Amino acid sequence: MNDAELINQILNGNMNAFTFLVNRYQKLVVHIVGRLIQRHDELEDICQDVFLKVYQNLGKYRNECKLSTWIATIAYNTSINYLRKFKKGDVVDLDDSVALRNLTDYKTDDFEKADLHRYIREQIENLPVQYRTVLTLFHLEEFSYQEIEQITGMPEGTVKSYLFRAKALLKEKLKFVVNETSMLNSPWLR
Amino acid sequence: MKNEELDQIIEKSFKAEPVFRLSADFAQKVSFSIIRREQWKTDLHEYLYLTGVLLSLLIVVSGFYYFVDKAFVLQAFLFVSKHIIPVTLIVFLLNFIFFADRVLLRLLFSRWNRN
Repeated sequence: MNDAELINQILNGNMNAFTFLVNRYQKLVVHIVGRLIQRHDELEDICQDVFLKVYQNLGKYRNECKLSTWIATIAYNTSINYLRKFKKGDVVDLDDSVALRNLTDYKTDDFEKADLHRYIREQIENLPVQYRTVLTLFHLEEFSYQEIEQITGMPEGTVKSYLFRAKALLKEKLKFVVNETSMLNSPWLR
Repeated sequence: MKNEELDQIIEKSFKAEPVFRLSADFAQKVSFSIIRREQWKTDLHEYLYLTGVLLSLLIVVSGFYYFVDKAFVLQAFLFVSKHIIPVTLIVFLLNFIFFADRVLLRLLFSRWNRN
């Protein structure tokens, strides 16, 4: 069933169709909300709130963008409103030095044992909220720059800049891994 | 070369799914919660509509009866104004019973059924 048919079914009062829509898009919503709010205890309630808004506003949805983009916009706005209410200090520092300090050091001694992927994933969670947002939308959900602009309201140039800076921050923390250890035979590349 | 490898690892990590999970019956929970909200809204509208109809009927009947038996209506009005507190309490109680029957009990039953 495509999105247009699904929307028609829901607007005609078919709740099974809505359950189907939730199943289809819950991964997208949980990724965005989870990455932004970073609170497991509130995650389900906020995701529920997102789908409630989707249901209430579905009649207003026009085919100007993909349904996934529209749902992602609602998820993003709901999460940002939650952060504004409860975590006021979580903003991007323009010189990145604060963000860099928030990242924990990667110990080169443990290089052989540690899971580099896990380390990077942990550090993503320590990045400022705008960086986490664009990383999730671009890499995980594979939205285009234009779609991310629609979802977040950030200009395309800013999105590109955040993506570049997020990667640069992580590379900064990992630069001595690259310099000191040969990665050709490392297990993470296999 | 090493730098490219690190880029690869970082890109791969960016695409890795985060650990956030929802309960297996999340979609059913959301649908049920929406059904319950919609039901609550419908019940409340129905209650307000019926209360309005009853109130209008009372006013219309009193108005008509005023022309048939003016003295009785004035006497009834005087009685109500003299015993305003007990009359208000009885009206409030009857209204609450009606509200509980049309809205509250239905809401509670739907919650119990879910649990």
